[in-house]
Amino acid sequence: MQSNREIVVQDLVKQYSGNVLAVKGISFHVKSGEIFGFLGPNGAGKSTTVAMLTTLILPTSGKATVGGYDVSTQAAEVRRIAGVALQEIGIDPLMKSMELLTLQGQIFGASKKQAAARAKELLELVKLADVTDRRVGKYSGGMRRRLDLALALVHEPDVLFLDEPTTGLDPASRRDVWEEVRRLNQRLGITIFLTTQYLEEADMLANRIAIINGGQIVAEGTPAELKGRMGTESINVTFANADDVEKAVRELSDMVQRTQVDRKTVRLYLNHAAQAVPAVVNRLQAAQLEMASLTLTQPTLDDVFLSVTGQRLEQAKDAEQAA
Amino acid sequence: MSVIANSSLTALGVNRSARMSFPAQVAMLTSRSLTVMFRTPAAIIPTLIISWFFLVIYNASLGNASNFLPGLAGSSYLGFILPVSVVSAALSGAGIAGQSIVRDIASGYFDKLMLTPVSRAALLLGTIIAGAVILVIQTGSVVLLAILMGLAPKTGLLGILVTLGIALLLGVAFAGFTVGIALRTGNAGATQGASFLFFPLTFLTATFVPVTLLSGWIKTAAQFNPITYVLEAMRSLMNTGWQPDALLRGVGACVLLGVVTFTFALSSLRARTRRR
Repeated sequence: MQSNREIVVQDLVKQYSGNVLAVKGISFHVKSGEIFGFLGPNGAGKSTTVAMLTTLILPTSGKATVGGYDVSTQAAEVRRIAGVALQEIGIDPLMKSMELLTLQGQIFGASKKQAAARAKELLELVKLADVTDRRVGKYSGGMRRRLDLALALVHEPDVLFLDEPTTGLDPASRRDVWEEVRRLNQRLGITIFLTTQYLEEADMLANRIAIINGGQIVAEGTPAELKGRMGTESINVTFANADDVEKAVRELSDMVQRTQVDRKTVRLYLNHAAQAVPAVVNRLQAAQLEMASLTLTQPTLDDVFLSVTGQRLEQAKDAEQAA
Repeated sequence: MSVIANSSLTALGVNRSARMSFPAQVAMLTSRSLTVMFRTPAAIIPTLIISWFFLVIYNASLGNASNFLPGLAGSSYLGFILPVSVVSAALSGAGIAGQSIVRDIASGYFDKLMLTPVSRAALLLGTIIAGAVILVIQTGSVVLLAILMGLAPKTGLLGILVTLGIALLLGVAFAGFTVGIALRTGNAGATQGASFLFFPLTFLTATFVPVTLLSGWIKTAAQFNPITYVLEAMRSLMNTGWQPDALLRGVGACVLLGVVTFTFALSSLRARTRRR
């Protein structure tokens, strides 16, 4: 029998002391077996939301259920079915991987023998089986992240929460984690709630995405939907001569929604860009403007982010760091 | 990491409503704490050496002078001063429990455990019991050193065991205090500082001379200091013989202190684990 693996969030609010409103009334519904991407810059309210859903903190108001259990009133039940890998990896650096995993299994009710067998399998799974005699304090960042993932899986969770699972990892380890997340989801049918500040990550992994900014969800849908709804395709034309760029913008201004100039390149934003290519080429030739190259760009999640928040995700991150 | 597809994960095989019994949880967490504590010998060895050092120094510098003190002449000064070393070894040993909790909070492992169905009280007890084991090793080694220096307690081996038992009680009571501070602050400096606050207590008492020789404010202070009664109980075992009143007062002082510190520790645990 397939258990309820949904996450249902209704008007969830978190206000910290000092009137800091970290999460301002969010609602969403994660279906069983889905990878749900929760995308936003630092300080957007992602970790606060995860902390509420995993029972670490109480919501100020609103309601959330994980696998049908209320996170406010049925915390023990939620903890039993939810696996959690937080952004801050919480493992004792003096312990060894087998000790950590076996202890975790026993806490969840397994016998020592069962827990040890499970620990061995999980270490194989995350490719840490050959470093079991080393204290985890000596692990690299990627190894610690993988061990943390294994710890979150010990009790066979129905729902897995991953709070920025690849932040601080090198590109190779990041791809390893992506691979792992996808396989866990496909093979075990685990619902995965994943927060990230990387557009690429959300795009690659998530079946559906919610974009959170300033404690509010500003957009939600599949990656394709979001791109289709908010992003715009563009034709990018690079000229041999930088002087031609301005002329081109003048020539084409009536055809496009907006333009963006970057040195010798002009980005022309318009709907149905592919069909518009011949017309653009004709006009430019008629005006005797020499093109060096022409490319088409599909909308990206970055465009979506820009259109719903008014800033690029990178800028939002920079602003956060400056603040 | 493309292993999942071809590996077959066996189920953990647990009934989701299954739960480890409380004593089993305590035993498991105690063993985990001990493993970790033994991996940080730097936290244990210095306090051990200090305890030995004080025993040797006090005995060497005050041993002969004590012959001129009424109430001490003729009896063993080593037997008189040993309890001071035992008590300070017990107190510093108890500090390890608090340090251990702080370490878990700092590493984030404490929060990770909070996300499991583990009993919060078992977590606390496991750490305290592990600290107590270390403490018994520490105080035991101090007594062993005293025996090598010629200690011959009036109550023999049994008296030594009772002395260690009282030290254990005192240490566990004090561990409640350090663990409470650790949970309250989550800060290593604060916990160490608070442990240090108890240091004066070993001197605001009949440390070097019998309580009858004290006078003025220090005598008043000593009367309210539980350590006074612990020292007297241990000293009676060393130099006088079996004295039920003294033993009862010593044990009573530890229990009373323990009730206060454990109440504090539990309320600190609640404060830390309360969801806000």
